[in-house]
Amino acid sequence: MTQSKTLVRIRFAGIVILGLIIIIPFLYMVIMSLTPDSEVGDGTLFPSHWAWGNYVTMWSNIGLGQYLMNSVIISAATGFLATVVAFGAAYVISRFQFRGRKVFLYSLITMQTVPQVMMLLPLFIVIVFIQQAFGIRLVGQYYTIVITYLTFALPFACWLLISYFENIPIDLEEAAQVDGATRLQLLFRVVLPLMLPGMVVAFVFSFLLSWGDVLFASVLTSNTTRTIGVGLQAFLSAGDAGGGVYWGQLMAASLTSGIPIVVIFLLLQRYILGGLTSGAVKS
Amino acid sequence: MRGEGVQVDFAETTATSTGAKASRKRRSANRMPVWMLFPTLFLLLLIIVVPFLIAVYTSLIDLNQYTLIHWVRAPFVGLGNFIDALKQGSALGASALRSVWVSVSFSLVTTAIITPVGVMAALMVNKPFRGRKWIRALFLLPYVLPVFVIALVWRLLFLNGTGLIDQVLSWLHIANKSTYWLIGPHTFWAMVIADAWGSWPFIYLMVLAALQGISTDQYESAYMDGAGPVRSFFSITVPNIRSILGLAVLLSTLNHFNNFTLPFIMFGTPPSPQADVLPLNVYITSFQTFNFGLGAAMSIITLIIMMIPAIFYIRMLKIGEGATR
Repeated sequence: MTQSKTLVRIRFAGIVILGLIIIIPFLYMVIMSLTPDSEVGDGTLFPSHWAWGNYVTMWSNIGLGQYLMNSVIISAATGFLATVVAFGAAYVISRFQFRGRKVFLYSLITMQTVPQVMMLLPLFIVIVFIQQAFGIRLVGQYYTIVITYLTFALPFACWLLISYFENIPIDLEEAAQVDGATRLQLLFRVVLPLMLPGMVVAFVFSFLLSWGDVLFASVLTSNTTRTIGVGLQAFLSAGDAGGGVYWGQLMAASLTSGIPIVVIFLLLQRYILGGLTSGAVKS
Repeated sequence: MRGEGVQVDFAETTATSTGAKASRKRRSANRMPVWMLFPTLFLLLLIIVVPFLIAVYTSLIDLNQYTLIHWVRAPFVGLGNFIDALKQGSALGASALRSVWVSVSFSLVTTAIITPVGVMAALMVNKPFRGRKWIRALFLLPYVLPVFVIALVWRLLFLNGTGLIDQVLSWLHIANKSTYWLIGPHTFWAMVIADAWGSWPFIYLMVLAALQGISTDQYESAYMDGAGPVRSFFSITVPNIRSILGLAVLLSTLNHFNNFTLPFIMFGTPPSPQADVLPLNVYITSFQTFNFGLGAAMSIITLIIMMIPAIFYIRMLKIGEGATR
């Protein structure tokens, strides 16, 4: 089809404008991450020298390594648990008709619209109550935060896997049953290989959702289990309260925690976008 | 796309394939492995349904850090917390009523800004051109960055006097160098701008997926019939993307209403009342002033307001009409 010249020009102008809007804050972040901390505070736009040292001092000064490690452990555990647990439910929901199936689907969606802060409040009350009543330490444990992350990761992973199952024909499973395969053989030899891409997407999405959380982690982690989002927030407010914020290091740390996520997303772009448009993703 | 491929290959190789109705029947004929459903059901009950009920109960009692240990015996105050929420709010923040107003306008204004941007961006990259792959990757960038990173960058950009935005605005003589974006009445707009920057690709992605689903035949036959680009846009493009755009707008409204991380990091706690969105207000009330009863009442008010777009969303998904989508 032919496109008129004016349309092409408008499109070009639009792309340039939008591109600039995206690039400028990002570029600013990159430049500031290479600017000496004191110069960022003075409002310098072009640093006197490239302060590569920000990328060195941030590890000791912010304690970035520990935070990143905590985030990886917690997000990976959440992603793994959510995917494995949801797999069973998604299989039953999409392959069998039973009473209450529709109710289950509706409640999955409803659960995803409940505000997260509303879930955190009662969970926190119960956790603190158990701590005080039984003398067990729960706040600051990896498993506590992982279980609370399942409040958003599990309904989401279920929904995503159900929509993946709908795209896989049931005939192959039926053929395997005719050949006399047991339930477990069927699951491991037929269903699992076909569902593997869907499970990878469910894992990655749950991982990304957990990585971005600050709300749950700010209440339920301690100094040693802090995730990267809360860690950076704590570093910021500590600097704000006195002594000034080390913006150069903070931007360097932001980039360091953001870039791996960007790379994962771009590498798996094709699969992730398919899951996204299946209609149940939070931004 | 891959799924369809599998389906086609398979239909060719199986002679026993007998259509949807028969296969549904056969599904129910063999025994259901109920046990596979149990872990999910158990967890959802334990971490969502039960806490939800506890939150409802908490909103009716006077619960703070002192009465927490005697949680079950905390005094029952009925709707007292709700009345308090609408009247005064927490000691630190705005009243819940004010936060409702801030949150509603925040999510509506942001959605109103990102919807046209997202639609236009999708239209711009829909047809192939050289370097489209790179532009698409670039358009994803703000969406892919974690929200806490976006909040940190925009906090730096909005820093009073020394931030890039104040410097540029004063250089252009549009605004004073001391506009104070992070405190006072401008916080609302700072929050809107930062959130719009990070969330428009969501609309863009949804619309782009809808656009890619339109077959070129439709455009070609319209062209044959003498329709110009404007005519074919309104008669083909708009009807084809309408439903998915509606879904995207609803989801985006819901998401913005729930956005906690962005204002929390951009403004710190407590924020200026102009930026005191409901999730942040609930958070401060519950976890910084430890007034759990009031916090629960406020979160239920949040839930009730969110039910309005949520009900539309659930109805749009049309569960049970064949597929789950």
